[in-house]
Amino acid sequence: MLCQICKKKEATIILYRTINGKKTEIHICEDCAALFTNKLSALALPQFNLNDLLIGLLSAIDFYGTEEDVFITKELKCHNCNLTYEEFRQSGKLGCSKCYNYFREKLKPLFLKLHGNDQHTGKIPHRKKGKLVQIKKVAQLKKELKEAVLKEEYEKAAKIRDRIIKHERATNQEDEL
Amino acid sequence: MNYNKETTLQNLIKSKATWTNGQGPLSDVVVSSRIRLARNIDNISFTSRADQKELESSFKIIQKIINENSIFNDFNILLLDKLSPLESQFLMEKNIISSYFVKEKYPFRSCMFNKEETLSIMVNEEDHIRIQSLDSGLQLKKIWKLISRVDDEIEKKLTYAFNEQEGYLTSCPTNVGTGMRASVMLHLPALVMENRMKEILKAIYKIGYVVRGFYGEGSKAMGNLFQISNQITLGLSEEEIIESLIRLCKKIIVQEKNERKKLLSDGKDKFEDRAWRAYGLLHNVRIISSMEAMELLSKLRLGVELEMIPNIKLNQLNQLMLMIQPAYLQIMYKETADQINRDIKRATLIRSKISIE
Repeated sequence: MLCQICKKKEATIILYRTINGKKTEIHICEDCAALFTNKLSALALPQFNLNDLLIGLLSAIDFYGTEEDVFITKELKCHNCNLTYEEFRQSGKLGCSKCYNYFREKLKPLFLKLHGNDQHTGKIPHRKKGKLVQIKKVAQLKKELKEAVLKEEYEKAAKIRDRIIKHERATNQEDEL
Repeated sequence: MNYNKETTLQNLIKSKATWTNGQGPLSDVVVSSRIRLARNIDNISFTSRADQKELESSFKIIQKIINENSIFNDFNILLLDKLSPLESQFLMEKNIISSYFVKEKYPFRSCMFNKEETLSIMVNEEDHIRIQSLDSGLQLKKIWKLISRVDDEIEKKLTYAFNEQEGYLTSCPTNVGTGMRASVMLHLPALVMENRMKEILKAIYKIGYVVRGFYGEGSKAMGNLFQISNQITLGLSEEEIIESLIRLCKKIIVQEKNERKKLLSDGKDKFEDRAWRAYGLLHNVRIISSMEAMELLSKLRLGVELEMIPNIKLNQLNQLMLMIQPAYLQIMYKETADQINRDIKRATLIRSKISIE
């Protein structure tokens, strides 16, 4: 029988999974199985294509979801560009920057598989720099505030609170610009 | 900016891109280094989902930026819809645009590039903006400095699609985060000869890098040339990605050089014979496919890299590798030709270029 993921190669491996006491099985080929274990079994140099890998991963991730998940996934769409998650799953391409917000929960496991991480740590555009610094500062101050309250240092806590308000105001003003 | 299609194409036929000069660091193994950044404009749908109007506006926004900023003064612009399929293919073979850009025919595609061909910008590729920089030898750090500056200049006039969680937002999640793909083109004939590539490729894949052929994604490995690039774009900084790619490449370079040394000590005559035979064939061929030519050029190249063949320079070989490609040949000879005629023209060209006299 043909692999149920790529539908191209002969299935040689059967994966079992039990969801709510119900046993399901999927027949897949070695290459698709490799995606699960994060290993590439063959030297795929001439055919190697990141988009194909991505679409394979998307199928693999969905297979591991519960049936309820599958139902929710069918309904999921981006309210900005109207791209459905199903369309994304087939093409591997998102429709607009807001898709990242609407599909975030579904994309997270994909990022972890692809990149081993889901938090950007690289370059920041100059336009966003100010705002990001403010956000980080506020997070830090909130931590300090908590500590001050725990230690019952109320005078210090009040000063920190004022600084938080000031920083948050600055961030909001930037947003309005 | 120069808008004249005919003169731009004419110049490209004769031009020698900086990355082909064969003078960069470690150029006895490293042909070239490349970085590309994927960027999108905020509030415009990604290319594959954008309508005509949106694609037109992304084109106009970038065009205006390039036109008004003096650092882009010497740039040429080509509109892909105004080019024949052969001309687009030629630009791809010159490494100015990607094969995706040739294949996916979105409206308002354009490319802009400088005279040295160290910088090119594609508009309405898979992402609105793809900035690419190329140079010879292993020079990723220098390239990053340049491309990051270009990125900053563009950003001065527009807002990129970016959020603090996922970084630069791209059409495909394989590029999100830094939006950066860094790659290094290595010439690894000794590792291939000694059947070491399979094991090395496996190790490269395992640690999150990908290997591609001469013309990037989906292209075949020809002439023992391998392009190694990062797969991970999210969770590491650009500098970290570059540093680790350099480290990886240096390890592979050491292995290649060790194999070369071993082969040399086993029999220098055999090695020289191999290079000179390739020279003999290339100097005399009458009909040759691009595949065979690339293989022979690789053998000759190794001889040049080991300083066995006088009067042939790496830059000649690099430029020839481009000129013998199907579209380049046809554009250069100003006529379309079927395969056999291309093979004849290719042989004529190679004979005229490969000579130690």
